[in-house]
Amino acid sequence: MKHHSRGVNSVAFPIVLSCALFLMVGHLTGQQSSSESKSLQRFSASSIQIEAPDAGNVPLPPEFRIAVYENLILQIEKTGKFQHVYRSGDKDAVNAPDLVTLRTTARAFTEGSQKKREVTTVMGATSLTVNVRITDHAGQPIVDRDIKGKVVLMGENLGATYDFSKKVAKIIRDTF
Amino acid sequence: MMRMRISVVDVSDTTNYSRGCRPHIVVCGLFLAVVSASLVLSPALACGQTADTSPVAASDVLQAQVQLVVGGQGIKNNSKGTLSVVGSSLQLDADGKKVSVEASSILDISTDKDNRQDVTGAAHLAAEAIPYGGSRVLSLFSHQVDVLTVEFRDANGAYHGAVFAMTKGMAAPFRKQLLALGAKTTVPLAGQAPDNK
Repeated sequence: MKHHSRGVNSVAFPIVLSCALFLMVGHLTGQQSSSESKSLQRFSASSIQIEAPDAGNVPLPPEFRIAVYENLILQIEKTGKFQHVYRSGDKDAVNAPDLVTLRTTARAFTEGSQKKREVTTVMGATSLTVNVRITDHAGQPIVDRDIKGKVVLMGENLGATYDFSKKVAKIIRDTF
Repeated sequence: MMRMRISVVDVSDTTNYSRGCRPHIVVCGLFLAVVSASLVLSPALACGQTADTSPVAASDVLQAQVQLVVGGQGIKNNSKGTLSVVGSSLQLDADGKKVSVEASSILDISTDKDNRQDVTGAAHLAAEAIPYGGSRVLSLFSHQVDVLTVEFRDANGAYHGAVFAMTKGMAAPFRKQLLALGAKTTVPLAGQAPDNK
C-alpha cells in the first residue's frame, strides 16, 4: 500500500507543479497585458472625417482607391465609436466640436490574380500598404501607422481593401 | 480447335447483331444529335435575341446589368441591379432601391478590366468538398468583366465613390455618354484634354 501511494505521489507531484507554474505564468502575462492596455491612451471624439485616399506615387487603380475609402467608411461606422462619420468635403463636418480626421496615403501596391491564388495557393497574392494618419482637431497626430491589407488565398483582388479597412477599424476600437 | 470454332461463331454472331442494330443506332444517334443541338443552340439564340433587342443599342437610354462592388448609398455591396443613364444622370436600380447621380457632379469616371470566376457563391463552397484539391480546377473557369469607377460629390459636398462590374465592353459606352453629359475625368477620351478636378 505504501509503495502504491508513493507511486501516485510521484506522478501527481509533477502534474500539480506544472499546473501551478502554468497558472503563475498566465497570471503574470495577464497582468502584463492589462498594464500594457492601461498604458495605451484612449482618446475620445464624437465625430470623424475620412478624407479621400491619396494614391501618392503608387500606381493604385481607381477602383482600389475607392474601395479603400468606401470600406473604411463602412467599417468605421460599424465600430460605433463615433456619433458621426463624415465623408471628405461634407459641409456639416465644419460645425463638429471634437472632430478627428483620418487621412490615408498609399505606400505600396501589388495586384495579384485570383486565378493564380486559387490554383497554386502560393502565388498571386494581392497586397496594399497604406499609411493611416488620424489627427485631432488641432492637427496633433493620434495614430500614424502603415497598415497592410492583403488577400492571399480566396476571394477577389479588391478583398485586400476590405482586409485593410477591418484592420483600421480594430485600431479605431483600440484607440477611441 | 474447339475453342477456335467457338470463338469464330461468337464473332460472326456479334457482327450479325451489330449489322442488325446499325439502323437503330443511326436513328438514335441522329435523334440525340438533334436534341443536343437544340439544347445547345437555344440559349445561344436566346442570348443573341437579347443582345439584338438590348437597350444598349439605343442611343437615348443606356443600360446594363451590373454588380455593385462597393459604394452604393443604402444598397448593399455586391448586389446586382440595373445601371442606366437616364436623362442627365446615372441611375442604379438594385435591391428595390434607386440611387441617382447627376452627371455634372461626377468628379472622375474611369474604366478598367478584371476577372470574375464562373463558379461562385454556394456552388463554389460546395466544390470545396471535391477531394484532392479538385475544386481548384473550377478556378480556371473565369470571364473578363469591365469595371466602372465613378467618383462624385453629393449636394452637401461629401465625396463618394462607386465601383461597378459589368459585361465586357459595356463600361466604355457609359463613360463616353456621361462625359458627353458633363461628367469630368482625369483620364481623357482619345483626342481630348483632361478635365481638372
